Amino acid sequence: MTNSEKNRRKDKAFQVFGIFCTFIGLVVLAIFLIDIVIEGIGRIDWDFLTSLPSRRAARAGILTAWAGTIWILVLSALIAFPLGIAAGVYLEEYAKKTKLSNFLEINIANLAGVPSIIYGLLGLELFVRIMNLGGILLAGALTLSLLILPIIIVTTREAIKAVPRTIRDGSFALGASKWQTVWYQVLPASFGGILTGVILALSRAVGEAAPLIVIGALAYVPFVPSSPMDEFTVLPIQIFNWTSRPQAAFLTNAAAAIIILLLITFLLNGIAVYLRHRQQKKIKW
Amino acid sequence: MPHIDVELERLREKLLEMWDLVEHQLTSGREAVMNADHELSQRIIKLERKVNSFDLKIDRMCENFFALFTPVAVDLRTVLAILKINTNLERIGDTAEGMARFACKLDRPFDPELVELTNVMVMYDEALVMFNECRTAFKSEDPKLAKQIIKRDKALNKIYRKSDVVIGKYLQNNPDRIPEGLALLSIIKKLERVGDQVTNMAEEIIFYREAKVVKHRKKKKKKE
Amino acid sequence: MNIKHSKLEAINLDAYYGDFHALKSINIAMEEKAVTAFIGPSGCGKSTFLRTFNRMNDYIDGFRIEGQILLDGRDIYTDDVRVDELRKEVGMVFQKPNPFPKTIYENVVYGLRIQGIKDKKILQETCEKSLQQAALWNEVKDKLDKSALALSGGQQQRLCIARALAIQPSVILMDEPASALDPISTAKIEDLIYELKKDYTIVIVTHNMQQAGRVSDHTAFFYMGELVEYAKTKTMFTSPKDTRTQNYITGRFG
Repeated sequence: MTNSEKNRRKDKAFQVFGIFCTFIGLVVLAIFLIDIVIEGIGRIDWDFLTSLPSRRAARAGILTAWAGTIWILVLSALIAFPLGIAAGVYLEEYAKKTKLSNFLEINIANLAGVPSIIYGLLGLELFVRIMNLGGILLAGALTLSLLILPIIIVTTREAIKAVPRTIRDGSFALGASKWQTVWYQVLPASFGGILTGVILALSRAVGEAAPLIVIGALAYVPFVPSSPMDEFTVLPIQIFNWTSRPQAAFLTNAAAAIIILLLITFLLNGIAVYLRHRQQKKIKW
Repeated sequence: MPHIDVELERLREKLLEMWDLVEHQLTSGREAVMNADHELSQRIIKLERKVNSFDLKIDRMCENFFALFTPVAVDLRTVLAILKINTNLERIGDTAEGMARFACKLDRPFDPELVELTNVMVMYDEALVMFNECRTAFKSEDPKLAKQIIKRDKALNKIYRKSDVVIGKYLQNNPDRIPEGLALLSIIKKLERVGDQVTNMAEEIIFYREAKVVKHRKKKKKKE
Repeated sequence: MNIKHSKLEAINLDAYYGDFHALKSINIAMEEKAVTAFIGPSGCGKSTFLRTFNRMNDYIDGFRIEGQILLDGRDIYTDDVRVDELRKEVGMVFQKPNPFPKTIYENVVYGLRIQGIKDKKILQETCEKSLQQAALWNEVKDKLDKSALALSGGQQQRLCIARALAIQPSVILMDEPASALDPISTAKIEDLIYELKKDYTIVIVTHNMQQAGRVSDHTAFFYMGELVEYAKTKTMFTSPKDTRTQNYITGRFG
């Protein structure tokens, strides 16, 4: 066998292996989706979306859960968005390359990898106990904000970094200050990228149950929260709750709730993909 | 107008200025020789300095043009032509000066009979016409006119070739006029040189305008 | 060399990037309403030097200068000089065309907007005037609201020049403004420079010797952070004094 033939075979072998690996992921996802959809799709109706939770599976709905999820989403976004962008802009545009800023950077990257349960414990200690907020929406949103903040900071920095140096030079050369350059040039040019990052971070936050359970959101909540100071539950917690019940009907409820949760996640991811696509089309450096 | 054209135009204008100056030298030279006008001759001789400074100036301008614009194609040929025409003009200026110096030595005008015999004034006029037409050809970038000029040079040569015999005969009859005859012979020689210089200049004009026409000729030959 | 009216001047200027001595005691005066070209091999410090005139090096960590840079006789590195005011006076055009990802109109008026000028009439008039000065108006007057990124490279660069002109500087710095462009666009930029020098003092860095010859009145040759020779361009291109200059402009370097 010649050398080139050998190489070609290796190439072929890797292609087959690669296709196999790709399909493992896809197949698992497909099985999971099909299983859930078969079990839960029949349970989804208007009543299911608009009913309060109940001890009887057939009457139980997810109104409080998805309302809580939306609340948490919006609040977390409101808190984490400005903080994350501001921190990202500072680190990328303003911070001098000192040892301190290096140290900060490494640790922000580390934070993005910390398990969510740890954030839950932090939230419990900081917001629930020290600030004495209790297990309310605000505490949950603050905790999740902490969780997604590192992700937002990192993606903001990446998006800002993608704005070419020459754009900044052009702005500075016309007499713009650093702030004007960031505000009129860098942020608009990187906004699509930043937004994509924020949405992906939020879609991660939507699925989090553990940190919220830790701060005390597991309570049975018989009403829709009307202010950040109300007690709350979210979809993942509702799902967790139902799956731990012995009755099969509750498992069906859980499957239906999972479909709703997945829809929210996919919707967010879809928006992120769309924004990124639009950004790429609009701006070619 | 692009920068390079602006500079090229300046160069052409400078050359035409010099052309005018030399023309002035030549025309006044005719008068000075005819009338043995010493004062006018002195003025012509003095003008030579001015022509020389034009020569230097145009040389320098061409040098700068090459250095700064690295011309190619028609621009390159134009500047090369200007450079050479400049040299020719300067020589014609020298010739005019030389004729003026002869005029200075004359204590009276030439014998009209001698002038008639040698056709020197016809020759002078012809040289002047050639000189002026050459300027027109340069100004209007007209290679056709330039070609006609080259043909006209033959008339000058004819007169020149006859002149030694004619003057020789005349001097045999009028031995007291030998210096006068020799001076006239030198002037005729100089006029012949002027004709040659103008021919050279005309050739330069054809060279810088006609890169295209040469091509057409080749095509015609192929067709045939 | 004789300078009639010096617009920009460097006096005993030294520049450092950290430990690297980038410019070595430069003394030079540049004439008002003329084009001065900086030439020299890569890394000779000419771009660094150009950027000291509008303090674009300020953002570079570890960069510092000693000596003085004078604009109209006034030191621009003293504490009371505001950088944004300085840059209104000293505009800059970069090597790669860098239009902002906005409309053509917004690109041109950006410099005015950041000065807080909101009057639509002023903005529109300035936009037209600047584009006309940059010989771009006829090509873009019908698409001012289109993205500047849709223009060709040469048009983008002229847009960047228009953008710089809009804030009415008296000096324009150009850092290899045509090196990323095709020959036709380059010729347009060069003709534009020739036009602009009637009203502006222009300093241009270029790697292209012919370009320096075509556009500049004076040329400064830099080598290893030193100003080797500074003379009228015709003088330098016909009879340079220093052998290093001679070797560089004849392409015999190294």
